[in-house]
Amino acid sequence: MHISEGILSGSVLVAGWAGSIAGISYGLKKTEPDKIVRTALISSAFFLASLVNVRFGPSSTHLTLIAPMGLILGQAVFPAVFVALLLQALLFHFGGLAVLGANTFAMAFPALMTHIMFGRAVREGTGKFRVMVFSFMAGALAVIMGALIAGALLGLTDRNFLGAVKLLVIAHIPLAVIEGAVTLFLVSWLKRVMPEFLS
Amino acid sequence: MTTDAYTLEFPRENVPASTSRSPAVVMLCSVSYALAVSVSDSLPALVLASVLPLMLVVSGKFTHSHLLKLNALNAVMTLTLALTWPEFRGGLIMGMLIALRMNMIYVAFSSFVLPLGTSGVYSALVSLGIPEKLRVLILLTLRGIHIMHGRFSAALVSVRLRAPGLRGLAKLRVFAYITASVLIQSSERSENMVRSVKCRGGFRGFMQSESVGLSSRDAAMIAGFMFYVAGVMVLNYA
Repeated sequence: MHISEGILSGSVLVAGWAGSIAGISYGLKKTEPDKIVRTALISSAFFLASLVNVRFGPSSTHLTLIAPMGLILGQAVFPAVFVALLLQALLFHFGGLAVLGANTFAMAFPALMTHIMFGRAVREGTGKFRVMVFSFMAGALAVIMGALIAGALLGLTDRNFLGAVKLLVIAHIPLAVIEGAVTLFLVSWLKRVMPEFLS
Repeated sequence: MTTDAYTLEFPRENVPASTSRSPAVVMLCSVSYALAVSVSDSLPALVLASVLPLMLVVSGKFTHSHLLKLNALNAVMTLTLALTWPEFRGGLIMGMLIALRMNMIYVAFSSFVLPLGTSGVYSALVSLGIPEKLRVLILLTLRGIHIMHGRFSAALVSVRLRAPGLRGLAKLRVFAYITASVLIQSSERSENMVRSVKCRGGFRGFMQSESVGLSSRDAAMIAGFMFYVAGVMVLNYA
């Protein structure tokens, strides 16, 4: 889901930075100093999980884990995603600095929406089946939303990108199903073992 | 080719080379160059913008094997754009233009920003006045990555030994359980770290890095870069 350097236009890059700075400022304001350490260590665990190459037949994929990040970190997700992407750019050379704002927004906004839309239902839901359905939907929708935002940024750069954007969204559907399943298993496990972790 | 269900690709960070330039200046110049290249689509502007990466490659300051992988991806991207663009030729040209910009930015980024290392980037963030909370978050996340890496690797090795032939949903379930258990471990570890930080007097004084003042070399670099970037922009919009 990373957009590389050199693709987006100047105005879209600036808009991406503006959206991200707003989200990061809000997230930092809402995060108490004591919670910074927890946020950092949880986002480092997510960072590592996203590095794991999961094999599927002849190909393999890296999971984004946007939805679990949103469900667990809540409003602190914007700064956490920003830091993770900054470290990915520095350690792996994925993405870049100019496009960091747009990439942060494309990944953190769906995570925040997941927290707003499904957070309460997943945390306080009592029915096992209900929680499983909401968790799956959170995982799958976050990926599709991320692909749509990345597509919108490309479309705003040049309308001719729309053909490639359709392909991008279609290519993310299998990943959305996989992420939905992983979110479902992860939330079910946490609800069983340590329910307070989700709050 | 590995046949393991999971492989953890973990990078080894380069030891930053000592530099006499201010990291903040280096970062600012790199970002302004990347922005100028991103908006350039006229030939004269691109020719002028390509002078810097060409000089870096010719002078031997840029040595990176990632460029091959990057261009393999660029070839796929160019082909995709050519097939999905309203006109094949238009898509091909756009794909090649993006690939050219990406290469130029990548060479500059790899030559200037990557040698700074995380400590250099951190020092740049201090100089640029980034809020302390965000800087603490960056430092602790980096520290956390190194702490949790050992636990994650051990869990993956354990799965490999106990269930080498994992498939389908079982593979996803096991991956989710490993991630969840590492998350709980990270939360417990964070509680200990908070206690430890409080014992040492809290986050006040946590930051030891200080803002680096500008030297005459930094001022010359800023002036040179601004002149160069302005030249690219003028040629682009002329």
